[in-house]
Parts: sequence; C-alpha cells; structure tokens
Amino acid sequence: MNTFRQRLVPYALLGPGLIWLTIFFVIPMYYMLELSLKTGSLEAGFQMTWAFSNYTDAISQYSTQFWRAFYYAGIASFFCLLIGYPLAYAIAFKAGRWKNLMLFAVVAPFFTTYLIRTVAWKTILDDSSPVVSILKTLHIVPPDGRVLATSAAVIAGLTYNFLPFMVLPLFAALERLDRRLLEAGNDLYATSPQTFWRVTLPLTMPGIVAGVLLTFIPAAGDYVNVIFLGGTSQAMIGNVIQSKYLVVNDYPDAAALSFTLLAIILVALIIYIKFAGTSALMGEEEEAH
Amino acid sequence: MWRWIKEHIVLFVGLLAMFYMLLPIAVIAIFSFNDPTGRYNFEWVGFTTQYWQDPFGITPLTDSLITSIQLAFLTSIAATALGTLIAIALVRHQFFGRRAANLLIVIPMATPEVVIGASLLSFFLTTGIFKLGFGTLLIAHIMFSISFVVIVVRSRLIGFDRRLEEAAADLGASAFTTFRKVTLPLIAPGVGSAALLSFALSIDDFVISNFNSGATVTFPLYIFGANQRGIPVEVNVIATMLFAVTVIAMLSVIIQQRRAEKMADMRPEEIANKPAVSLPM
Amino acid sequence: MSVFTARRWRLLGALMAAVLASFALAACGGNSGLSGSGNEDVTTAKCGDASGSLKISNWPLYIDPKTIKEFQSETGIKTTYTEEVNDNNQFFGKVQGQFSQGNSGGRDLIIVTDWMAEKMWNLGYIQKLDHSCLETVFKNMVPSLKSPAFDPDREYTVPWQSGMTGLMVREDLAPEVKSINDLFDPKYKGKVTMLEEMRDTVPLVMAADGVDPTTATTEDWMNAINKIGDAVKSGQIRRFTGNDFVQDMIKGDVVAAIGWSGDGVQVEADNPNIKYVPPAEGCSLWSDNMLIPVGAPNSPAAYEFMNYVYEPKNQAQITKYVNYVSPVKGVKEVLVKQDPDIANNKLIFPPDSVTEKCFSQVSPPGDEEQQKEVEQAFQNVLTG
Repeated sequence: MNTFRQRLVPYALLGPGLIWLTIFFVIPMYYMLELSLKTGSLEAGFQMTWAFSNYTDAISQYSTQFWRAFYYAGIASFFCLLIGYPLAYAIAFKAGRWKNLMLFAVVAPFFTTYLIRTVAWKTILDDSSPVVSILKTLHIVPPDGRVLATSAAVIAGLTYNFLPFMVLPLFAALERLDRRLLEAGNDLYATSPQTFWRVTLPLTMPGIVAGVLLTFIPAAGDYVNVIFLGGTSQAMIGNVIQSKYLVVNDYPDAAALSFTLLAIILVALIIYIKFAGTSALMGEEEEAH
Repeated sequence: MWRWIKEHIVLFVGLLAMFYMLLPIAVIAIFSFNDPTGRYNFEWVGFTTQYWQDPFGITPLTDSLITSIQLAFLTSIAATALGTLIAIALVRHQFFGRRAANLLIVIPMATPEVVIGASLLSFFLTTGIFKLGFGTLLIAHIMFSISFVVIVVRSRLIGFDRRLEEAAADLGASAFTTFRKVTLPLIAPGVGSAALLSFALSIDDFVISNFNSGATVTFPLYIFGANQRGIPVEVNVIATMLFAVTVIAMLSVIIQQRRAEKMADMRPEEIANKPAVSLPM
Repeated sequence: MSVFTARRWRLLGALMAAVLASFALAACGGNSGLSGSGNEDVTTAKCGDASGSLKISNWPLYIDPKTIKEFQSETGIKTTYTEEVNDNNQFFGKVQGQFSQGNSGGRDLIIVTDWMAEKMWNLGYIQKLDHSCLETVFKNMVPSLKSPAFDPDREYTVPWQSGMTGLMVREDLAPEVKSINDLFDPKYKGKVTMLEEMRDTVPLVMAADGVDPTTATTEDWMNAINKIGDAVKSGQIRRFTGNDFVQDMIKGDVVAAIGWSGDGVQVEADNPNIKYVPPAEGCSLWSDNMLIPVGAPNSPAAYEFMNYVYEPKNQAQITKYVNYVSPVKGVKEVLVKQDPDIANNKLIFPPDSVTEKCFSQVSPPGDEEQQKEVEQAFQNVLTG
C-alpha cells in the first residue's frame, strides 16, 4: 500500500460519521445562531437585523431561570455523586458474583421510558403518600408542607433521572483501578479511610469529572422534571426555551437563550477540564502510538 | 472490627441506592395490575390481570411503541456503524485535524438536549428539504447517539493489543480480513454495548423528539400526551414488559457466562470480576 | 482536551471568521420566507368519491377507541389517526413551516380550538368548506353552534366537541368555593391550580374582578395576569396544568382549580367528591373544531369522516367515552336507552341554568403583536 493511500484511510473511516455530525449538528447550530439575530414573527417571517439585543434581553430577563437551572443541576449532580460513588464502589469491589446483576440494575431504568418513571415519582411523593408522612414525622418536611410541586421534588427527580450517568463512569474508573496500589497503601499501614482519601479518590478523579459532567449538563437543560414534579417558580431555563419555541413561537429569543446556555456550559467545561487537569471526556488525548 | 463494619456499610449503602433506582419501576409494575374505576391510574383500587391479557388494545399506543422500536433499532445500527469507524480512526491513526474531530465528538455531548432539539428544528424548518416525521427523528437520534458510541468503542480499543493485528498482517491477511477476523471480534463487546446504549438512548428520548417529530408519535411522546388525560394502564404494562424483556436478556447472558465458566472450570473470582457487557465510558 | 494550544486557537479563529463571513452573506439574503399568504384566494375543499386513505390529527384520548375501526370497516377508507395535538400553540409551531408552504404534511383533517382555527384561517392555511358536501353535519348540528362569532357561517370549521371552562372543586375539602375569587383565599394556599392555556385562565380571573372579558382591553388582561403573578409569588397557586389537574384533585393535593367540564364528568368515576361548579361570575364556552388544511391530499374522505361522526349513533359512542358537550342533536335520545347516567348528566347536556352566564372564549384584543405581548406576559408568570 502506498503512503498516500494510507494517509487517506483515517479520513475514509471518519468521513461518514463526521459528515453526519457536521450537517446535522454544526450547520443547525449555525442556523440557530443566524436565527438568534433576527427579528420578526412566525407569521410575518423573520428578518436579519443583527439584533444583538435578543441576547442582552434574554440574559437580563431570564437570569433567574439561568441561575436556577445551574443551581438545581449543581445540587442534583452533588447528590448523584453522593449516592453514586458508594454504589459504584460496592459494585466494583463488594458485589462479588452479583456484580453483573447490579450493573445491569443501574442501566435497566433506561429501558422504561423516563417520562413514566418521573410520573411514578409523582405517585410516590404525593401529599398523602407514606414517604411524605415519614418525612413529616422526621421533621424534614414541615407538618403543613409538601414535597411535590416544590424545588425539592424537581431536584429529586433530576437526581434520580441522571444517576446512571454518574454511576457508569465511576464504575469504569474504579474497575480500572490497580488493586495492588490499594494493597500497597495497606502494607504501608494506612488505615482504610486514609487509603481511600489518598489513593482511591485521586485515582478515580477522571471518573468523577466525567460523571459530574454527564449529570450536570443534561440536568441544566432539562425541562421535563419541572413539568411533572415542579410547581410555580421552579421553571428552569429549559422550560423558558421550550415555551418560547413551542408556545409563543418566538424563535429568535429562544435561539438566543439556547446559545447563551450552550456558551455558558462550554466555557464552564473548558475551565473545569483545565482545572481538573484531565481529559476526562475523551479518555487520554495522547495515548501511546 | 472497623473493617467489617466498613465493608458492610458500603454494601448496605449500595443496596439502598439500588432500591432507590428500582423503586419507581416497582411502582410502575404494581400499577400495571391495578383496576382503576375511572381513567386515572394512581390510586390502588383492586387487582386485575385484564390489562396484561390485552396490552395492545389501544391502537395509537401500540403504533407509537412500534415506531419507537423501529426508530431505536435503525438508530442503533447506523450510529454504531458510524461511531465505530470514527473510534477506530481516532485510536489507530495519526492524522491532521484529529483535535477538531475530537471536539466535534465532545461538543454534542456537552450540548443540552433542548438546544439540540431547537437547533435541528430551526434547520429543518428553514431549509425545508426534510419533511418532519420519522426521517427527521432518525436523523436526530443518530446524530446524538454517535458521540456516545465513539466513547464506548474507543475505551475498548485503547485497551487491546495491537500485536495481534500485526501478527495477522504478517501472516499475509489483507487489511480487511485482519479487521474482520481479528479486530472486530476483539472489540465486539464494546460495539455490542455501544449498540445497546444507543438503542436505550433512542427509545428513551423525549426532548429532542418533541421538537422534531412532525406528525409521528413515539412511545415517550404518547405518554406525554396521555398524561394530560390519565395514562392508560396499558402503558404500565408495556413499560413493565420492556423492563422484563431486558432483564431476561441480561440474565440469560449472565447465566451463559456462568455456564461457560463451569465448563472451562475457571476460577470463579476471575470471571466475577469481568463485567458481562463492557460498559459505557 | 487538556490545554488550549495555539493551534486550537487558530482553528477557533478560522471558524469564527468563516461564521462571520457567512453572516455577511446571509444578511444580504434577507427574509427566510416564513410568512402567511392571507385567505382571499383559498380553495374550497372538494368532495366526491370518498376512498383511499385519510390522515387525522387530534388531541390525546379525544375519541372512542372503537370509532376509527368502525369508520374504516364501514367506508373502506384506511385511516391514520394521530394524537399529536397536545397544545394549540405547540401544534401551530410544529406545522406552521409546512402549512405556510401550502403543504399539510399529509394531514387531511386537524382539530384545534376556536381561536387557533381563526388564526390559521387568517393566515390562509385552511380550506373553505362546501356545505353541500356536509348534509349530515348541518342537519344534526345543534342550533347554538351554527353561528359562532369568529366564523358566523361555519365557512371553514365544524365543531368536534365543546366544553366549558369553570371551577373544579373537591366538595369534601373546600365546600364553599363558588367563585373564581375564592381561589385567591389564603385558606387554600398551595392547594389551587389554574390552566396553562391563557385563554382559559385569564378571562375567568377578569370576569371575577367585574371586567367583561368580551370587551376587555390589553390593560385589563395585564392586570389579571399581574394578579395571577402575585398569587404565584405568594405560593397561593400550586401549579399551572393541562388536564392533569384532575390527578392532583383525586389525590387531594389540590382542592380547587380552574378546569374543564369534560374532565368533571370523567373524574366522578374516580372520586365522586370532585364537582364542576359554574363560577358565580360566568364561565367560558369553547369548541374544538375540525378543519381541512390547504394541501390536504384527500378532502373527500375528510368530509366523509365529518358526516360520519355527526350521525347521532356514532356521536353517542364518542360522547360516552369523552364526556364533553356534543355538537350533535339527537345524541341524548340515543344515550337514554344505552346509558341514562350520561344522558342525564348536566355537564354533557347542559341546561340553560348552567350555561346562561357563559361567554364565548376570547383572545386578547389588538393585532398579532399586542396579543403576543400578553401571551408573553402570561408565559413569564408560568415560567417565573
């Protein structure tokens, strides 16, 4: 095989998939960027007017919903980590022959549509449910309080729906962990907690980074949990985008909001990855060749 | 002593987390046997199996399920093929534009669904080339699944020994034969779980589909609409079935493995540490 | 992805340059061509030999499941029935691109609410109806629906079902709720819901404040919206809903709500304590209508279907299932024999005492622009 043809091989492999992504991801993004600078209405058509005001308006008018989205998504990711780490740890090190079964149980919820699981939470958390009564007895919820249609319910829903995305990368990271390192820690008279803090946790950092990203990003843009579990004053930015697009048909504003959301997430992602010092999302960027 | 407690605490917390994950599914399954008096199925009235006897009685519901399964199946095939090729290129070759390609894979994963859905809708409406419907749904689903496939297959590829391929080449196999006889079988578990993941992502997607469905109704879209007027019991039955089918499929994989391990008489703990299906990420 | 190398910055720079350049081109291009065409020159839908296939878009669970099967076997028309209308605006947003190009997306018959029907008609998306093709329909239509304000001659709409928007009350938990104003009573804090459809909720709140919704100004609308907004801030209103308010009421999470009469009937089976109460200051009456969009591939089959559902015996089956107010005469007579409970239900066959204070559902005044502003203000309350 001559070298020229060999050089073409990777492009031939990449070609179909990347062309697909270019046509159906990059170009639509560009259309949306264009749309976000237009003015007009659906009925009369939208004209290009370089309306950068769409952006300033969007951000000033809906800053509350932006903050709320990041706040909810942040708390939900934190809870996912809190629940997901012990679970991943238990599956990786303690499950023995039940490992596959437990792993599967983590993935299984994907196969029952998440809408219907969210509706099931509505049943579990309604005002007269046993769960809420227990919470009232424990004084976690005030006696005249409720769980449904509050921010707590929305955060619980987000936590639940995106938990598998946290557990899987954590499990993969723990699974790859060289057990001899842990043994070495013990041989050096470290207590188990010390081994955990000094060896296990730092070594599984890439998994944590990937897990947090994979839960935070979808949670920040979600609007379904609010529709089903939220009440008033819990709308996240996703709800605003959806209502602007599909109810008011104000496409330019919706596009401007979408772009702002994407920009914030990308900037955060770059900073995060810089500080986390790993290339968590794509595995090692520079593996040996 | 501390150690004993710790070991069991982790396991206990893990099991608690499991319970939390499976609780809603249990609720869905229980309510598939409910016999509501009216149209609303969330208060326990009485036990019946009538909905299990005829779960496909509601035509629009059944149609939406068929649509969803077809969509997930086609998405899974196409996204797995496209994504696997990309993963091979990224791991096996050095070429100009590699980083740009990497970015193009990562950014869709970092984009909230609502943004992807909205931008695709702008694109479809403005160009007017594509008629909203099954086709546009398929385009969208393949698009958002590719990145996940690349990640899964890639992690599998990074871990395996290139010398096997070199050996095949030395023995005179053509590039294509090497791929078919050596590379593909080695990455098959990765490709399999990527296909499974893209199937799951597709069948579960609501947000992007809601924007780009045209007059096509998928299973999640049907549920969203039905929720307005009370979700029929049949939906619970079908959701439980979907879950059961996956459970049975996975269990059979696990049992087969156990059998294989008995036959080969390997040390059980070695096998126990190998996941049945290699996992995303 | 560890660091931003110089090469990557260059790449980004090149990308930005490319994007800006294409913008400059796009700016010269101007309009993206999404616009209405007016309705002066719309076609009249033709009837004739009804055969082939028919595609209907309706709201979820808005027909008896057997009706379509029976229609198919009686007429031989292969019918695709899609429950894709969850919300008037959402549906509009979804189909607008196709409709504006005179393409119905294969749909022969769509079902939307009065005001949306009018909006689509004004944009020229809807075909005129030929009354000579609709003999059964006009023979059996109830007189009160023959001449609505927005379409006095039923030029382009045929009612599918009607209903009233009013109060829904858990009489065991909130027996004294009789007026929309009672929903603002602090006693029921967090136990009240309203509908997310602006035209359902806002006019009722205005009427409760003594404003006549049919002559209300933009300012009146805004005042009512602000009042609702304050109730949201104080935690008085639990959420805004579609039909799903019923679920909250069954559970007792909600004791009073703005809701639809049709759900009032259906929910009695689940919980007899939930009652539809005509608000003291009046209720709003609306219809969902069948329309034939421009570009419908098979209008004869659409006419056939309209006539079919206007046969009292076929309509009776739908009424039994959906429990809304039927636009067809003679249904009650059919149902008296089959299901006397339904035939005597005051919400399905409302006597004058129930409807006398009702007004036809209204939209905000002014042009598209002003209406949008009101709609946006209401949406801001919803997503506050």
